[in-house]
Amino acid sequence: MAKRNLEEIPDSQPPAKRSCSLSLDQISKLSDELLIHILSFVPVSTLIVCQRISHKFRSISGDSQLWKAAYYNRFVRPRAARLPTLREAIAPSDQLYFSSKLSKWLDEENLVSRGKETNWKRQYKLRHNWAKGSCDVREIEVTERPPILPLLVRLHEGIIYTVDPIAGLRVWSLKKDRKLLASTVLSPSTSARSLAPTSFAINNQSSDIHHEIIIGFEDGSFTIFTFFIQENRFTETFTHPASSNGMITALAYCSPYILTMTENQLLSLYRFSSGHESDGTPSILDPPQLLYSLKSHTSCPPLSLSIRPSSQSIIASIAYTIPTYISGWSVGIQEMCLTLSGDLIESRIASSASQDFQPLIRPSPFSAPSTRTPSPSARVSPNVYSDHSQLFTKPTSLSYTHPYLLVSHPDNTLTLYLVTSDASTLSISSGSRLWGHTSSVSGAYVGGKGKAVSVSTRGDELRVWELEGGLSSPSNRRRLQSGHLSVRIKPEQRSSRHTETNLISESVSQRGSGLGLALDEKYDDLSVMRGWVGFNEENVIVLREKSQGSQALVVYDFS
Amino acid sequence: MATDTQTIRLTTSDNVEMTVERAVAERSILIKNLLEDLGGEQTESIPVPNVAEPVMKKVIEWCEHHKKDPPTTQDDDSDSRKKSTDIDEWDQKFMQVDQEMLFEIILAANYLDIKALLDVGCKTVANMIKGKSPDEIRKTFNIQNDFTPEEEDQIRRENEWAEDR
Repeated sequence: MAKRNLEEIPDSQPPAKRSCSLSLDQISKLSDELLIHILSFVPVSTLIVCQRISHKFRSISGDSQLWKAAYYNRFVRPRAARLPTLREAIAPSDQLYFSSKLSKWLDEENLVSRGKETNWKRQYKLRHNWAKGSCDVREIEVTERPPILPLLVRLHEGIIYTVDPIAGLRVWSLKKDRKLLASTVLSPSTSARSLAPTSFAINNQSSDIHHEIIIGFEDGSFTIFTFFIQENRFTETFTHPASSNGMITALAYCSPYILTMTENQLLSLYRFSSGHESDGTPSILDPPQLLYSLKSHTSCPPLSLSIRPSSQSIIASIAYTIPTYISGWSVGIQEMCLTLSGDLIESRIASSASQDFQPLIRPSPFSAPSTRTPSPSARVSPNVYSDHSQLFTKPTSLSYTHPYLLVSHPDNTLTLYLVTSDASTLSISSGSRLWGHTSSVSGAYVGGKGKAVSVSTRGDELRVWELEGGLSSPSNRRRLQSGHLSVRIKPEQRSSRHTETNLISESVSQRGSGLGLALDEKYDDLSVMRGWVGFNEENVIVLREKSQGSQALVVYDFS
Repeated sequence: MATDTQTIRLTTSDNVEMTVERAVAERSILIKNLLEDLGGEQTESIPVPNVAEPVMKKVIEWCEHHKKDPPTTQDDDSDSRKKSTDIDEWDQKFMQVDQEMLFEIILAANYLDIKALLDVGCKTVANMIKGKSPDEIRKTFNIQNDFTPEEEDQIRRENEWAEDR
């Protein structure tokens, strides 16, 4: 600094005029554009420092253009280099770092299309926190009594839905206040007795105005509710009568299709007559038409149902676990491809067991609706990284977001499978084991870009995984071996946060034990993660059950 | 045209006429485009109303030294700029001027559209900012701290996430 002072001395030599200009800082002569250009040469740490210089520098160093470049340099470029299809596009010339074409390829268009309002500094911070596993944590206490059946939770577009027999269907805001938005009893039409809900799903075609929630019950019936987001109000739009096939164990809803799985392992695909949403406001629905029904004998839970719409077809799929002789447990998947009008194109099946393994039961657990014979087990390409020397233990959870299929095990590991589904084939790669957890893994959830979150039973360990591209790419294998494939979430009560007096902080303080603070320590020994875990761009949510029997949603906030 | 050492004349903002080799002056995209638009032999002096003679001298000095550099690409999106520490030795020496001159050079380079010179100038300033505390930066550039203590505290907290842990 002494040196810099010297530089200023020549300025002060011609006395009168210069002293005047000295009091005026020279750098103000430069336009904002030029200052931004200067700051484009400094690292993020310096941008942060510049925030603290003056009001003017604060706004300049917070400029979205600078942060967008930083975001692309840190998060998009390395990702692009990992993806084999994109590597070629980038390798030859050392350029094209944040053109819109590339960002489209990288599926960042959700950020780009939001266009000018994208706050890149905020996005950078968000990704930074994910990468470091650092987040704020809050709890939402959902029940105080011990649960009869586990509470069911779903996260959809920033709204948390919970279902349990006593409190019914409830909606919680994930915004800053995290308060209860609305609730409804579960079966207003069947007044006599309250049924226990056994599964639920949210229409993945929901609009911005309302979400549709389907809830399955122990008697095989299911009910659809519509939640109006602006008005915080529910309407019941359809109830299907009880069925002899037993309770609904899994559901998927992609309007107008519904996929249900029952206790008796009957998989059914329904379709509502179209046009029920002509003016955007759903009314009471007509009973749906049962399109196909498949009987299974061997699909073991945990399983996952999903419906994927594409421009030409609808793909309804079930991913499930199957017991095998040698490898212990493996996974299988069955897909039904339908035309947009609901006609079956084909039904096909694949499992991940390689030919060396003799499945306990042939991997064709479902009666095929078409005459097509089940395809043989998926081939294993020799270069796929896998470990067959170990037995796969019975999975504790299964999450399938095409093309990623992630299974968690009680032996502290997870297994990642990649599903290939195109016009000609359906196959599952052999599993890749993921190490990182130090205790039994009770739940995992994988999202569309290969980001996954897993939680251990004791709830003291959450990990975020970046699994994009699977483990066949050398760079991901290297990251796995060096332990960089996942990062452990480090919750912290940020002292800096102005704790708003809200439901959650109150409930925490009421219990007096300072549970929010307990996160730095371990959870109380008897508390158990239920295994449900979900996340969106900014939050991870875990359902936690405590020794006293109360349940809480733990919200990890990365923003 | 046999344009070995064709010269042109420039008139600076303080009305000084300078004679410059055309190839040197054409490092400035502004002048280059202007000459192209005018076409043929340029006999009249070109006014450069935003740049004073001392600054223009520095700019011409830089252009002389860099006249054989390959022309810079205009494409701003293909941004393969190296990080700011990489300034070649000659340029580093060239930029050892007082702050007033440094900012004048940046302004002139921006006005005359000499991208490489603009980058060198901006990198020089960036290097003066890097690795300093807010207080040191304020001192270096004589910037007034117009934050209240409360604001300062708030901003510090807002940016805590970026601190290395």
